[in-house]
Amino acid sequence: MNCQDREYRGRNPIDVSRRWFLGQCGVGLGAMALRELMAADAVAGSPAAVGPMSPKTPHFAPKAKRVLFLFMAGGPSHLEMFDEKPQLAKFDGTLPPAELLKGYRSAFINPDAKLLGPKFKFARHGRSGTQVSELLPHTAGVVDEIAVVKGMCTDSFNHAPGQLMMSTGSMIFGRPSLGAWTCYGLGSEANDLPGFIVFSTGKKGPSGGNSNWGSGFLPTVYQGVQFRTGGDPVLYLSNPDGVDQAIQRDSLDAIHALDRHRLDAMGDPEIATRINSYETAYRMQMSAPEAMDVSREPRHVLDLYGVEPGKASFAGTCLLARRLLERGVRFVEIFHEAWDQHGNLTADLKANCAETDRACAALILDLKQRGMLEDTLVVWGGEFGRTPMVQGGSDGRDHHPNAFTMWMAGGGVKPGISHGVTDDLGFDVVDQKVHVHDLNATILHLLGFDHTRLTYRFQGRDFRLTDVHGRVVSEILA
Amino acid sequence: MMIDRLVGMRPLGIAVALLAGLVASAPADEPEPAPAARSVRFGRDVRPLLNDKCFQCHGPDESHRKGKLRLDSFDAATAPAATGFPAIVPGDPEESELIRRLTTDDPDERMPPAKHGDPLSAKEVEILRAWVADGAEYEGHWAFVPPERPATPEVSRPDWVRNPIDAFILRKLDEEGLTPSPEADRTTLIRRLSLDLTGLPPSIAEVDAFLADDRADAYERLVDRLPESPHYGERWGRVWLDAARYADSDGYEKDKPRFVYFYRDWVVRAFNRDLPYDRFIVEQVAGDLLPNPDQDQLVATGFLRNSMINEEGGIDPEQFRVEALFDRMDAIGKAVLGLTTSCAQCHTHKFDPIEHTDYYRMFAFLNDTDEAAVAVYTPEERRRREEILRETAAIEEALRRDHPDWADRMRSWESSRAPGPDWTVVRTDVDANNGTGQKHTMQEDGSLLASGYAPTIHVDTFTALEPVPAVAAVRLELLNDPSLPLNGPGRSTKGLFALTDFRVEVAPGDRPDEWKEAKIVRATADVNPPEAELEPIFDDRSGKRRVTGPIDYAIDGKVETAWGIDIGQGRRNVPRQAVFALAEPVSFPSGVRLRFRLDQRHGGWNSDDNQNNNLGRFRLSATAAPDATADPVPAAAREALAVAPEGRTPDQAAAVFAHFRTTVPEWKEANDRIDALWKTHPEGASQLVLRERKRVTHRLDRGEFLKPAEVVEPGMPSFLNPPPSTPNPTRLDFAEWLVDREAPTTARAIVNRVWQAYFGIGLTATSEDLGTQSEPPSHPELLDWLAVEFMDGGWSFKRLHRLIVGSNAYRQASSVTPELLAMDPYNRLLARGARVRADAEIVRDVVLEAGGLLDRTLGGPSVTPPAPMFLFEPPASYGPKSWPIAEGSAKYRRALYTFRFRSIPYPVLQAFDAPNGDFSCVRRSRSNTPLQALALLNEPVAMDAARSLAALTLSEGGASDDDRVTYAFRRCLARRPTDAERQVLTDLLRKQSARFAADADAAAKLSGGSENAAEHASWTVVSRVLLNLDETITKE
Repeated sequence: MNCQDREYRGRNPIDVSRRWFLGQCGVGLGAMALRELMAADAVAGSPAAVGPMSPKTPHFAPKAKRVLFLFMAGGPSHLEMFDEKPQLAKFDGTLPPAELLKGYRSAFINPDAKLLGPKFKFARHGRSGTQVSELLPHTAGVVDEIAVVKGMCTDSFNHAPGQLMMSTGSMIFGRPSLGAWTCYGLGSEANDLPGFIVFSTGKKGPSGGNSNWGSGFLPTVYQGVQFRTGGDPVLYLSNPDGVDQAIQRDSLDAIHALDRHRLDAMGDPEIATRINSYETAYRMQMSAPEAMDVSREPRHVLDLYGVEPGKASFAGTCLLARRLLERGVRFVEIFHEAWDQHGNLTADLKANCAETDRACAALILDLKQRGMLEDTLVVWGGEFGRTPMVQGGSDGRDHHPNAFTMWMAGGGVKPGISHGVTDDLGFDVVDQKVHVHDLNATILHLLGFDHTRLTYRFQGRDFRLTDVHGRVVSEILA
Repeated sequence: MMIDRLVGMRPLGIAVALLAGLVASAPADEPEPAPAARSVRFGRDVRPLLNDKCFQCHGPDESHRKGKLRLDSFDAATAPAATGFPAIVPGDPEESELIRRLTTDDPDERMPPAKHGDPLSAKEVEILRAWVADGAEYEGHWAFVPPERPATPEVSRPDWVRNPIDAFILRKLDEEGLTPSPEADRTTLIRRLSLDLTGLPPSIAEVDAFLADDRADAYERLVDRLPESPHYGERWGRVWLDAARYADSDGYEKDKPRFVYFYRDWVVRAFNRDLPYDRFIVEQVAGDLLPNPDQDQLVATGFLRNSMINEEGGIDPEQFRVEALFDRMDAIGKAVLGLTTSCAQCHTHKFDPIEHTDYYRMFAFLNDTDEAAVAVYTPEERRRREEILRETAAIEEALRRDHPDWADRMRSWESSRAPGPDWTVVRTDVDANNGTGQKHTMQEDGSLLASGYAPTIHVDTFTALEPVPAVAAVRLELLNDPSLPLNGPGRSTKGLFALTDFRVEVAPGDRPDEWKEAKIVRATADVNPPEAELEPIFDDRSGKRRVTGPIDYAIDGKVETAWGIDIGQGRRNVPRQAVFALAEPVSFPSGVRLRFRLDQRHGGWNSDDNQNNNLGRFRLSATAAPDATADPVPAAAREALAVAPEGRTPDQAAAVFAHFRTTVPEWKEANDRIDALWKTHPEGASQLVLRERKRVTHRLDRGEFLKPAEVVEPGMPSFLNPPPSTPNPTRLDFAEWLVDREAPTTARAIVNRVWQAYFGIGLTATSEDLGTQSEPPSHPELLDWLAVEFMDGGWSFKRLHRLIVGSNAYRQASSVTPELLAMDPYNRLLARGARVRADAEIVRDVVLEAGGLLDRTLGGPSVTPPAPMFLFEPPASYGPKSWPIAEGSAKYRRALYTFRFRSIPYPVLQAFDAPNGDFSCVRRSRSNTPLQALALLNEPVAMDAARSLAALTLSEGGASDDDRVTYAFRRCLARRPTDAERQVLTDLLRKQSARFAADADAAAKLSGGSENAAEHASWTVVSRVLLNLDETITKE
């Protein structure tokens, strides 16, 4: 998804190509046609490479240098996990107050659905005394490292538009995703890996599909690249049957030699870029499998996450995410679509939390012990929350955009706090409301951007992730 | 690590150069300005500044206007503002508040306010100062003034000018002190022309023939021939399909396959028959409103219907109908008008004069429609269908001829018909069970229309809102609706349904909780097809034999059996009814409350696919009359019978006769013959189309469908060509207005995009937006000249293509010197030919063609070539998707025909920047990434091509390695290798030959079981290298 690029507006493409080429390309180029231009470069000094994915400097010193977004797609129930509501328990089985429902639209249930008390017990944890339910014993162990944002709200009560909203700040298709904006603004520090890597680990793929990691109107280089936990992590990474590394190397050498001849004849810097792309692809063939090989991790790390090597799991993917972040990948996003509990709420939540809780907490601990937590932003949450009202008999909740919980950790986030207050039923945010736009503004802030100034001109307008909205939630900044 | 193509939006240095004299700090390398009569021009220099810095608060949008000041017109800007001073005093910058506020040091006064953006640079202030000093003349935005044919300029080298395009190009080169490049060599030209005009590389024979053609007009002959190839339409149709956001699935979460390839093929054929662009647009926007539209004109309206639709559970269908309309507005804006309309969806456009209300007046044209899908037929199928109709009519005519008393008999049959019982329509609640996510909407006639998510195995319960006095039987009517597939009455892809079971419960009016099942003793229906097994798409993976059949199947309590209505294509999509008689009539003193349970368990296992078998539109009624049965007369005849015989139209009379004849026992043989005929009716396909339907349109506050403001009537904005004087304009008037000769942006937008396709960048680079925020064109006169020439030439694309490729500008060699590259990095001046990486589809087609694999079959359903299967399964995909790998040569069809799931784009095409059809795209990114390298090196179809090229080289390429290298090289690049290139390939070949001679296993693996495995494997390596060259996938 794409449609345009103004990336190099005002930049001389020869510079772009040449510097990129010099900075990134490992091959010796011999007598290349751009030699004269290189000489000119020496005169002009040698500014940093300005390829679209080479590292760039944000507006101000960033707190977070990379992002891990744990997208709990489907709409996890804030009422069962983070937002304790004793009153909801008390009023279980009764009708919610009519004034609360005025103008309220829901996806499945009727407005006259009765309230459903929370299914799990809560307790305070850590020095911070953060409330977490019994579903999340491991997260409870790291609450002093995270900021629980209980005042989230969004605009859609349907999955696809809700997920797009969370991913792109808009329910309209065609907008760049948060990861794409991040790479547009910061580039990537991974030479041999994509800058924005996406996994899908849930029961299904995300409802918004590809557009959740699309580049929208930004250049296509910024779109997320889907990685797989089994088989080839990147499509077509392995050599075809019968092609070993020696043949691959010989082939690439021949391709380069022929492309170089053409570069000499035509002078088109695009050919130099092509050579570089092939060389990077070749390196990626080595580096991606290495990065994806969790069996290289020591036993205690595997145990920390609860990973069984060779078995695809959310936990294994979290560990992969850490390995990729370590290698300079700018933005890793894990879509875990599993949280749409219209029914079977109790059992499904138990299972989901058993599958994810340990690994999420392990990420925090692991990043911290590696000294990476301080400049890695971890974000956990889904596209919306769930209704205090019941759906079906007595074990389901519908989609609810008015209030839900997310958490953030590391990368300049104030640890050990809870932010935002919902009403007694967990229906509406009554204090410290954080809209998705505000969340995005805050994430960009942590990455060193003024969200109103990270813009891209398309169709005659300077677009931004937060459109005309967004407030940096300074209360959760460290 | 991934570098996007180095095309940017940098304004031309030369535009700035004219201003350099004004500005002390102008870069030293800018050439000295030519003495110009006027230093600053409004459209080029001033308007962009005001747009960027001022109009946000001082532009056309009243709701955001600050200080009651607007700067977008002379009158407003020179009138006293809130401060009492005029912003602009023409001729006197020092007295102009505008200049003062831009330059003041007082942060409270300084504009633009710090929070709104950076201050103007000294250079920018100077531009405005000079403009005010010159009198502050406002010109209309260039693109809003209808283009006029500019004079062809005088140039330094008239001999270089083959047609006026060259004069405009050369004029600019003259100004810049540049000279055009020499003509490219002939091999380059034929490859360039073939790729541009057909999207396919030339064959070696074609190249040789062209090289041998020493006639003076050899080039022109080629230019005449290529657009007549059927592949021309495939190449240029694809360009339009981007703008039409074509895809084979419906997007959002479910992203189910949909049926729109007739539209794709229509586009291809429209290009091939050179349908004039104005008609091309009219048919796509309003083909259904043309007099007696033919199938093609209906299919054309698929353009607007290509919008996505969200059918996840729990949606409000109206919300996403409105979203689809927004998308259609966006598509018309980008694809036809070359304007950004979507800003005005929520508020008056901040930069262009599109008011919020204007938007909804245009929207109203599109809102007056139904989301229809109709049956469509290939020409052959159409012939068969017409034959059936003709033969049926002939048999009926023979019956009438052979039985002169037929009219009397029909009359007596008609008068003997017993009047049916009185039925009371029972209105019910909707979706109270709130479990399935499917939405039902109560229609005016008391029927329920299902929409949104379509569960495949479910039970719907509907409870009557009011009690009836008594009930002895219940009737279920199935009705057509344009929103249902093929008009319904069901929701399956064929517009059908299966009713597994039907139950009725009753409760006393005053004790609504005392539900009791009312046993159904007998069911009748107006159609009772014989038992038939469910089609494979409805497989529920239970392993059970599930069937449809007569109405008894709906009351037998068995989950395997259901009532179905399929009597074959051509006659199946009609209203039906069933009547369920209760064992005991029920009545209560307080009346009878009714509850209906509609069991629909005959869909398939995957509710994320097109596997529903649900009721679409239906109505429930009750009667107290005993012994009620379903009226056996089909709906069409029933409606006709309601009209007095003398008042019936011929169609109505025919409908009555068509039923009457089936009631005459001795006409059995004729009736059987007709039934047999209908059994041969072609299945056809379905296609999404528009159907007119009046609705009330409101302006939507902030673009929110739940915030309707005042009612608006359909109409056009006034800043473009004048709206027609018709009092109540229709969508057809709207379409005609879009392509009016005076429409200022329409022709400019499309010729600019054609130019972009040839040269990699448009004359104005912002091809999706020619509005006031657009980039000023590099050659404004050329753009206007092309637009006028295009319109004057009957809006003919082929003529436009021949004009462009006939120019010397097009024929230039594309090599570039460092000096020229430095001076004109994006080749805006065209001192050289374009060298551009081919579009995704062409990359794929070139590889297939070079490998000798390409299957050139035209049109038809989209194909599913090899792809990694995990992509189509969760968790990569939201739901499981069907992707049966194409067999035989079908997997090597042109990329145009690759099935396009929006949520799972075909990976090779995605890697090369093909858009996925989520929204209209009139300009693709062109990236250059390692993922592309991996796709060309390692993807299985690319490997097939390498193996096949190797085999061809060995069989066709001559006996010597030299000949073979030349042959393989030319299949990929058309030209012959240089000595140096030959050396690289020969060295590679030798090294691989040695390797494979020593390693038979590796050779066998790579060659895929060829006889002379080592040789074939070595050549496969060479072929793979050739297919991976930058030049192979580039138009030089």
